[in-house]
Amino acid sequence: MNPIASLRYHWNVNLLGRAILRWQRIRAQRRPPRWDTRYLAPPLKVGARMKELVGRHWLAGRYTKGCRKVAWVTSGAPVELLKALDFYVLYPENHAAICGTARVAVEIASEAESAGYSRDLCSYARTDIGAVLSGKTPVGRLPRPDLLLACTNICQTVLYWYRVLAHHFRVPLVLIDTPFVYTEEAAEHAVRYVRRQLEEAVPLLEKAAGKRLNERRLRQAALLSKRASELWLEILQRCRHRPAPISVFDQFVQMAPIVEMRGEPATVDFYATMLREVDERIAGGMGAVRNERKRVLWDNLPIWYRLRYLAEFLARRGVAVVASTYTNAWGELAPLIDPDEPFESMARTYIYPILNRGTGHKLATMKRMVEEYQLNGAILHSDRSCKPYSIGQMDQRDRLIREVGIPALLLEADHNDSRAFAEEQVATRLTAFVEMLGE
Amino acid sequence: METNTPAIPSRTETIRGFKEAGGKIAAVLPIHYPRALLRAFGLLPVEVWGPPRVDSSHGAAHLQPYVCSIALNALSFLLVGGLDVADCIIVPHACDALQGLGSLLLDFISPRQPVFPLYLPRGRRESDLQFLADEFRALYARLERITGRSPTDADLMKSIRREELADGLLAELHRRRPSLPLDDLAFYRLIRSREYLPAEAFAELARSVLETPPTDSSRGVPLILSGIVPEPMALLEAVARMGGTFVADDLACAGRRLYPPGDSEDPFRRMAERILNGPPDPTRGSPIAERADHLIGTAHKTGARGVVFYIIKFCEPELFDLPLLRRTLQEAGLPSLIVEVDLNDPLPQQVLTRIEAFLEVVG
Ligand code: SF4
Ligand code: SF4
Repeated sequence: MNPIASLRYHWNVNLLGRAILRWQRIRAQRRPPRWDTRYLAPPLKVGARMKELVGRHWLAGRYTKGCRKVAWVTSGAPVELLKALDFYVLYPENHAAICGTARVAVEIASEAESAGYSRDLCSYARTDIGAVLSGKTPVGRLPRPDLLLACTNICQTVLYWYRVLAHHFRVPLVLIDTPFVYTEEAAEHAVRYVRRQLEEAVPLLEKAAGKRLNERRLRQAALLSKRASELWLEILQRCRHRPAPISVFDQFVQMAPIVEMRGEPATVDFYATMLREVDERIAGGMGAVRNERKRVLWDNLPIWYRLRYLAEFLARRGVAVVASTYTNAWGELAPLIDPDEPFESMARTYIYPILNRGTGHKLATMKRMVEEYQLNGAILHSDRSCKPYSIGQMDQRDRLIREVGIPALLLEADHNDSRAFAEEQVATRLTAFVEMLGE
Repeated sequence: METNTPAIPSRTETIRGFKEAGGKIAAVLPIHYPRALLRAFGLLPVEVWGPPRVDSSHGAAHLQPYVCSIALNALSFLLVGGLDVADCIIVPHACDALQGLGSLLLDFISPRQPVFPLYLPRGRRESDLQFLADEFRALYARLERITGRSPTDADLMKSIRREELADGLLAELHRRRPSLPLDDLAFYRLIRSREYLPAEAFAELARSVLETPPTDSSRGVPLILSGIVPEPMALLEAVARMGGTFVADDLACAGRRLYPPGDSEDPFRRMAERILNGPPDPTRGSPIAERADHLIGTAHKTGARGVVFYIIKFCEPELFDLPLLRRTLQEAGLPSLIVEVDLNDPLPQQVLTRIEAFLEVVG
């Protein structure tokens, strides 16, 4: 470790950066809300805190050179190992989502497309590769990775994508391959395989980190992950209330820390604060949608570049989107994490994300949510460049209509590529859907 | 060039003959699976690469338009009864599209035959090998249930050796390709019969071709064909007419399945070793550099002057590698061309024009 680099890191991140971000938060809290509060509740107060937290995370990334090792990881990766080894952890998917919400994803992805990456590829991957090739990013600068960790529990796409990164950066790529769970239970040999890979990864991670893994720190990271995931799940479950205190669009906005900062005490604090605010809303009878008439489900990734448009469009018609298979994915596995048995429980936890499970399981999850959240309909975002999440939706929609008796809409778009979003067509389809929800 | 096309039994004939002899049929989707295991249970694997020219509207009721035509056509073919002859369906996990298809079959479509998904690990580590061997053990247990048979280790080893022999001859066909008396179309008809012929029948056919005297090897500008499957096969004729020839391939249905013999005396490990030690393949997680080395090495061996990447639209495993792979090939003096196709389109003129232009450049 370089002492000057450490000093620079400490000064820019912990002292100066912290002060500036806090000041920005205070200013943000005073700014009038940017969305239409005739139909939507004002934004969560905790939102400014989230921006501060996430801002610090990205700021820290800019000063890692010479003082912290950097790992780029997939969103479903067993991050606890990296936290215990003190890596600065960067999630390219999250960075891509930030580019999506900042509406610069297309410009950045075009850099990858000009370099030959097809427009049919996952738009997160294109955004990330475009950022790597061009240096363009709304977060200042992306630190170069010392290590890549890809876990296939969300898709195989991440492995193709990370092979590109490995080739580009010439750094080791550690793979945690998680066999897809077609049936209710993962086969024991599949869990064993994941566990073995986790154990085999340790020396590779230690080598890149330049230090030995400390079991106590690993248990601590697992505990913090578990606690944050539990709080997140509790927050989501508060949406069973009528009116729902927050909407899925709020969840999309507030989910960054649970994805990219699991295993950190600040994340636990943040979600504890958010839960308190959500409870205050419930106590005050405040709903995310002012005139909540109908409640619906969202399936698949968000459409990052049109969150506000969709939230307002639906809220104006009294429709609250209150549950989502996507945000639920970061909470539902909390009970499986056992800090006392980190390797065994990581193997079991990381094999079971919804994206690593069958199309029937996803339908069952949706049906359960319809019941638990008393939903009147479902919007299934058919995400052009995310095949693993989207395949199955045509049958899932039909079953929701036939077996559950609710209207279900397949909405064609893309999570990060606004060129796949036809606003007029979306508006027509949503209008027809809202009509089907009835009075 | 004179072409002595051997008489290759058709799929229909082969299936009928095998069934009449008391055998059963396993319909198998792309790409890697343990042929020997199926045969030990009296099941003949018959592969389903699409196929082209089916009414894809049936599959389109379940799969969005951004899913590749291999998955779409396979599903359409099943829905129109094309797989009725099969006693079980094996769906290897090659990619997100086949993962989704396998899951759809199990959860929503429920064909009358049992569906067995098969997960393929994406590494080549000891843990990958152990897992794949275990995955084959799990498949063994399922096959036991549907066939009522329990082949012994010795039965399995016998079956493995039979496949290894056939694969050895397949590799020899690939190696001796420039001097074989077969044009590209005839060559691919021959080697693709491995997709449905029993190993012993394929071996016999391969031997008969290998025994014919070698011919003049100058057939046109030598190229490598990379991608999933050379469909429609009219491509091969068209390229020959334009003065090109494919002297080697890196196709999922062909060159990426030249499995070497295994070492282990444990049949499950041996079957796993064979697949994991096969040539580089993006669906098995091979690094881009390994693929580049393999293609450059193949070009040196065969004298190929360029690579045609014949890509099925929406095929992510292929598409991700291309920019870096092509750049590395270019740096090594091996130019390449990408054409994207859909199994449901006839060979578009535009694709041919581009290949023709490429031939002019490398020729
Ligand atoms: S958006 Fe879909 S395809 Fe892209 S990384 Fe996420 S899960 Fe994979
Ligand atoms: S063509 Fe590509 S995407 Fe389609 S099934 Fe084959 S490997 Fe998968």
